[in-house]
Amino acid sequence: MLIEQSAYANRWRGVAPAAKGLFALGGLVAAFIVTHRPAAGLGIAALLATVTLGGARVAPGLYLRVAAPALFFLAISALSLAVSVAPEAQGGLGLHASPDGQALAAGVAGRSLAGLAALLFLVLTTPLTDLIALLRRLRTPEVLLDIMVLCYRTLFVFSGAVQDMRTAQAARLGYGSRRQTLRSLGGMAANLTVQIWQRAQALHLAALARNNDGPLRFLTTPHPHARRDIALAGSGATALVMLAWAARMVTP
Amino acid sequence: MHIMEGFLPIEHAVGWSVAAAPFVAWGIRSVNHRIRENPEQRMLLGVAAAFTFVLSALKLPSVTGSCSHPTGTGLGAVLFGPAAMAPIGAVVLLFQALLLAHGGLTTLGANIFSMAVVGPFAAYGIFHLARRLRASLAVSIFLAASLADLLTYVTTSVQLAWAFPDPAGGFTTSFLKFAGIFAVTQIPLAVSEGLLTVVIFNALARFNAQELRDMGVAPDAKGLA
Repeated sequence: MLIEQSAYANRWRGVAPAAKGLFALGGLVAAFIVTHRPAAGLGIAALLATVTLGGARVAPGLYLRVAAPALFFLAISALSLAVSVAPEAQGGLGLHASPDGQALAAGVAGRSLAGLAALLFLVLTTPLTDLIALLRRLRTPEVLLDIMVLCYRTLFVFSGAVQDMRTAQAARLGYGSRRQTLRSLGGMAANLTVQIWQRAQALHLAALARNNDGPLRFLTTPHPHARRDIALAGSGATALVMLAWAARMVTP
Repeated sequence: MHIMEGFLPIEHAVGWSVAAAPFVAWGIRSVNHRIRENPEQRMLLGVAAAFTFVLSALKLPSVTGSCSHPTGTGLGAVLFGPAAMAPIGAVVLLFQALLLAHGGLTTLGANIFSMAVVGPFAAYGIFHLARRLRASLAVSIFLAASLADLLTYVTTSVQLAWAFPDPAGGFTTSFLKFAGIFAVTQIPLAVSEGLLTVVIFNALARFNAQELRDMGVAPDAKGLA
């Protein structure tokens, strides 16, 4: 997973997650403030991307590859907003590029790009374990946190199992034709399905053996400069929001 | 099909989150109740969420030759019931936003509503309706998985059309536009996912019937094991 690689390898890995969360929140708020002002939205997106690439030193290629699926969704959806279907004079339906639709599509695209850049800033600089710890501090229900902790741990166990099964199936020409592919994938998923109960049972026994019958707690990384980080990120976020307000006031 | 970060206007983003929250809360309540009765199930949901996440990352050959990703909602709803699928789906969608940048944080509520509420409830309802109408297990599973996929995508199209009604034709035109564009990928995906889920259940019934019986899996899926 590309995002995981970057979250652990970037320069701001050690910055307090609360600070990065605050800055991303500022970016999201700014994105919604500049709604329907495409140029301002693009500006906020560019600013957030610059901070992510320049400040946290995330590789530009990786950034683009992570953003690609969302950009594809945006391209298709913006296209369908820009064109309008209307009945033609001589009967039937025709596609028209309406000015209203184009303005709407541009506005939504600007906001979405700014929002995406804020989300990417957060996820590319902060490992998921830090985010879960942050959610715990924000009083997320314990049941959801437990599901998250377990899901995160088991995710890689299952990914490993999938890779092994895939290799074994591919070695037996399991992906030779489309029919075979469907069969192999079905067999693999069935195998995984049974493992849900087996692994859950094993985890339960392991937890009982350690006298755990309550929430799953883990040590969190200490962040000695948390206050300074939060103050810096807070001023950055405030600056972003004020910039967005200014852009909103200037452009009609 | 995940709605990306920032795409929905703020009122819609908040509105869909408010609409999805009671289902997730109800799911958590029913899960807590179940864990109190069977403490050995307390790891189940987390592991099931990881399973759903990994399943949704598999590349499924689509009927048209392209590739797409299964959603796993049909399979999950039949195995765990729709109530449990809301919190599981919420966590999976959050992880997809945070680990893959699919979907987003402000659009999480809308995505939960379409994929973790409408999809599983539809799958569960269709599966049991089909079984009651004496359809075979394979047919019921196929209908449940593929129609759940279709309804999920129809819900997403409704969400988008509601947020962005067409300037000329209003909601209906906008809905037809979004549904028409996404149909290209979503209808083949629904068929593929239906077929895949049937193959999964066949394999389970054939190779793992004893394990499933021993573990008391899918008590609702009558005739499975």
